[in-house]
Amino acid sequence: MNITCQERDRVFLDGTPEEWAALELHAEGCQECGGELQAWRNLSIAAKEMREEPESPQLWSRIEASLNERAGQKKPNSIWRRLRNWTPLSVGWQTALAAAMVLALAISGGYLYMHRGSSARSEDGSAALLKSPALREVENSERAYEQAIEDLETEAKPQLQSGDSPLVASYREKLMVLDGAIDELRMQAGENPSNAHLRRQLLAMYQEKQQTLQDVLEIKR
Amino acid sequence: MGAVGLTLPWGARISSVEGEGDSRVASSEVQEQEVPGGSGNPEDAAIATLCLGGDLGGYERLYRWQGTRMKNLARHLLGTQSDAEDAVQETFLKIQRSVGTFRGQSSFVTWAFRILVNTCHDLRRSRVRRKENATGDSEELPPSQEPRAAVAHPTLRLALERALVRLTRHQRDVFLLYEVEGFRHSEIANMLEITETASKNTLFQAKKNLRGMLEPPSRVREAGR
Repeated sequence: MNITCQERDRVFLDGTPEEWAALELHAEGCQECGGELQAWRNLSIAAKEMREEPESPQLWSRIEASLNERAGQKKPNSIWRRLRNWTPLSVGWQTALAAAMVLALAISGGYLYMHRGSSARSEDGSAALLKSPALREVENSERAYEQAIEDLETEAKPQLQSGDSPLVASYREKLMVLDGAIDELRMQAGENPSNAHLRRQLLAMYQEKQQTLQDVLEIKR
Repeated sequence: MGAVGLTLPWGARISSVEGEGDSRVASSEVQEQEVPGGSGNPEDAAIATLCLGGDLGGYERLYRWQGTRMKNLARHLLGTQSDAEDAVQETFLKIQRSVGTFRGQSSFVTWAFRILVNTCHDLRRSRVRRKENATGDSEELPPSQEPRAAVAHPTLRLALERALVRLTRHQRDVFLLYEVEGFRHSEIANMLEITETASKNTLFQAKKNLRGMLEPPSRVREAGR
């Protein structure tokens, strides 16, 4: 097999063993290719020099402690249950919230009943999968939420860290639960980026976290 | 593309660690080295089973087996040892939290490194944002250089480290994962959610760019004439 100078880059990109051998042979008689081949090799050699064994004798202990801490916590069945267990509100507010949810369910049930004909279109399941432009839009919205949440987190941090009232402690707990749920959903959404259901759940979590942080800031005011 | 001030002795034939020589150099591009974290590895399967069963021993085995590589990658992505350790710790917590979503579509190690890479980028982004908020400067900061262990070719490595921060994030990720950490293109594709072809193309572009940046000044001058 013969290799020419013009084929060099293609071999660098995705050459077969035979092509590499042929390039080596060609490089023996071609100064330019010889230099390029050597430079290509030197990069790989330099990269290997970047492999190190960083000393960090305490790291595993730290990791183990945090894994144990989390494993020791009572494991609720789902994020929704954990959120349901979060009850910093008075009974009166909880009743009002429950009434609002019943109303929302009734409205959405009525809407679904009225539009049941059009829902047949999505029987093939394709509507549950986000198409590329829609997916990009969703990802942009998620990024915007992440940015907004991070700004809010920075603003609310002093309040969350210093506040020792039961309400602030309760918000801290809720935010931890939400962070856990967001991580899980992001992981799942990473594996199934087009799954509209997961994306909706993730968006709901972002909205909830944003609202919670705003509530924390409200206490400050 | 200009040189970065430190040049590689391109003409010289550099010998690396004895025996490792060209495993990932000339023939490397065709014969990817066997990586201990590859799919089908019994250790990988055992760890996955333990972690899925909630056995914390599985995490310790993962750390003993891949911890060095995880810390090394995190340090190259984040710049400091302390950030790297935080990233590795956070990664283990995320693995524990999300292990129920592991479907075995890749090896457990590949999946864990995917989480690590994402965690590093999240940390890096938030660090950049914090810096932006503090200084009003929107430029992404390159990872700071910490003193490193003595190696056979310190100049060579320093030059490469300086050049790496000038690559795109994607090119840097692929270069580090392939050339430094020794992952296969199929594994990198899985970690970064790209195709194998894209991984190969990105590596090629990364090396081309690095080659340009590390070009000896004499060659750059000659090219300018």
